[in-house]
Amino acid sequence: MTGAAARAPAPCKLLVVGIGNPDRGDDAFGALVVQALDGRLPSDVPAIECRGDVLGLIEDWSGCDGLVCIDAAAPLGSPGRILRIDLDTGPLPGDLSGMSSHEFGLAQAIGLARSLELAPRRIIVYAVEAGSFGGGAPPSPAVAAAVPIVADRIVIEIQRLRDL
Amino acid sequence: MATRTIRVDLLTRVEGEGALDLQVIDGQVASVQLNIFEPPRLFEALLRGRSYAETPDIVARICGICPIAYQMSAVHAIENAFGIAVEGPLRALRRLIYCGEWIESHALHVVMLHAPDFLGFPDAIQMAREHGEAVRSGLALKKAGNELMRAIGGREIHPVNVKAGGFYRAPSRAQLAPVEQSLARARELAVGLVRWVAGFRFPPFERDYEFVALRHPDEYPIDQGRLVSNRGIDIDIADYETQFEERQVAHSTALHSAVRRRGAYLVGPLARYALNFDRLPASVQTLASQSGLGAVCRNPFQSIVVRALEIVYACEEALRLIAAYEPPPLAALPLAPRAGTGFGCTEAPRGICWHRYDFDAEGTIRAVRIVPPTSQNQPSIEADLAAVAAPIVDQSDEFLRNSCEQAIRNHDPCISCAAHFLKLSVHRT
Repeated sequence: MTGAAARAPAPCKLLVVGIGNPDRGDDAFGALVVQALDGRLPSDVPAIECRGDVLGLIEDWSGCDGLVCIDAAAPLGSPGRILRIDLDTGPLPGDLSGMSSHEFGLAQAIGLARSLELAPRRIIVYAVEAGSFGGGAPPSPAVAAAVPIVADRIVIEIQRLRDL
Repeated sequence: MATRTIRVDLLTRVEGEGALDLQVIDGQVASVQLNIFEPPRLFEALLRGRSYAETPDIVARICGICPIAYQMSAVHAIENAFGIAVEGPLRALRRLIYCGEWIESHALHVVMLHAPDFLGFPDAIQMAREHGEAVRSGLALKKAGNELMRAIGGREIHPVNVKAGGFYRAPSRAQLAPVEQSLARARELAVGLVRWVAGFRFPPFERDYEFVALRHPDEYPIDQGRLVSNRGIDIDIADYETQFEERQVAHSTALHSAVRRRGAYLVGPLARYALNFDRLPASVQTLASQSGLGAVCRNPFQSIVVRALEIVYACEEALRLIAAYEPPPLAALPLAPRAGTGFGCTEAPRGICWHRYDFDAEGTIRAVRIVPPTSQNQPSIEADLAAVAAPIVDQSDEFLRNSCEQAIRNHDPCISCAAHFLKLSVHRT
């Protein structure tokens, strides 16, 4: 090992997670962005889909320095509206919290990971406002149109996180 | 006449949506009503006219936590109606995926939903700051259960690989090998979890329940057995309707079940344990004894210990099944639909889940009845609440509210299955 290598900082571990059920209308947004990122991220930055239990993600992201989550948010009247939420600057909005008491939502999973000191230092959430979550329905045109835009932004986001 | 009203609009850490009304008149509990106001979900109606082949995937949607229970009771009923029995490695696979559901469902309830009650935390997130190791164990156990369900079922929520006659595809031994490693670690974590919860302080509270569960000649019941109770019931599952009835009540969109001519009964971990302690492996019996439990536990607050013991059992049983597993020659037995009625009853994590289907000659459903665990337990939960509240009605509203919420969570009610969220109102007159 050279002296320079010994002094180099440990590489920043990053993870991208697309959350949602691809068979439930606009809930497919997370999975569609992950698919759109195929081949566009550095080889050491995995992009995974989470279709079910968000609590299981805690183990996946523990040890990571940065996490980018992509999810669909509750409909508020402007489907396709893109939100970038940096959890350094504030909590996740309530409408990205668990919608069901059956399972923990993203906000609770992040809160739990922070209590357990298993949360990445930087967490960025890209959310798109959904139009509907119809079973078996395709994503709405407005949400589908947001997919390449968010994918482009995440490519830049990952580069920025690596440079921090 | 003195009146007092306490209201909790939202009961947290239960599955589903409902409310509780507690009437206190002159310092006495006059009535308790567990109100389930979630709209009826009408699964029994929407199944009519559908093919038997669609049934496992439709009934799985009744619950995101216990889809296997609904799938298994349904496929058993279909097979019963069409005159086949699934045994050998296919039955072992069914029991194995069911173990996964017990592990993930119980781990979620024990650690994330119920334990905060005993340690004075509002939720698992706050509790995790002081009890990180236990919460990490709970997460690892849930993940192990999910992994097992995914390996056999294709995915952990609403699995897609279950069909009448068996499975769409049977896993190879190599595909189960990684799960076996996770389960070996999970078993040790579960033992630690039992010791952790056994150290909680439990109120000295017992009720004389009529316990109802399946009982099998050799096994701790999961997927097969006769229906038995500690008050003399011992019937084939096909005779359920002769002993039990469902009643509509004005305050709930879920039906209330009762033993005919007797009344409330209890299903779930306490019932399974009390009626089948002798079917548990010696390792689990010893652990129960070390945890301060006898062969019967009538304290609903200690159900958290019984659930943790059942996680240990499910891990051991899953490991045993995987060790003995040889892939079946066919992933599913062939079925020939015929007109008739079939019955299925299996042990969901919360208790027996009973199904009856009437089919025509093509295997189209003509009538269906599904009795989930929570509707069976509602009258017992109300009786628990009255008994818990009676000695503490003079305490503060907040204390009363917290005690009632905990008494409800003792039974891990899945209100979504029964019809969904809890709002607690105490009216003192």
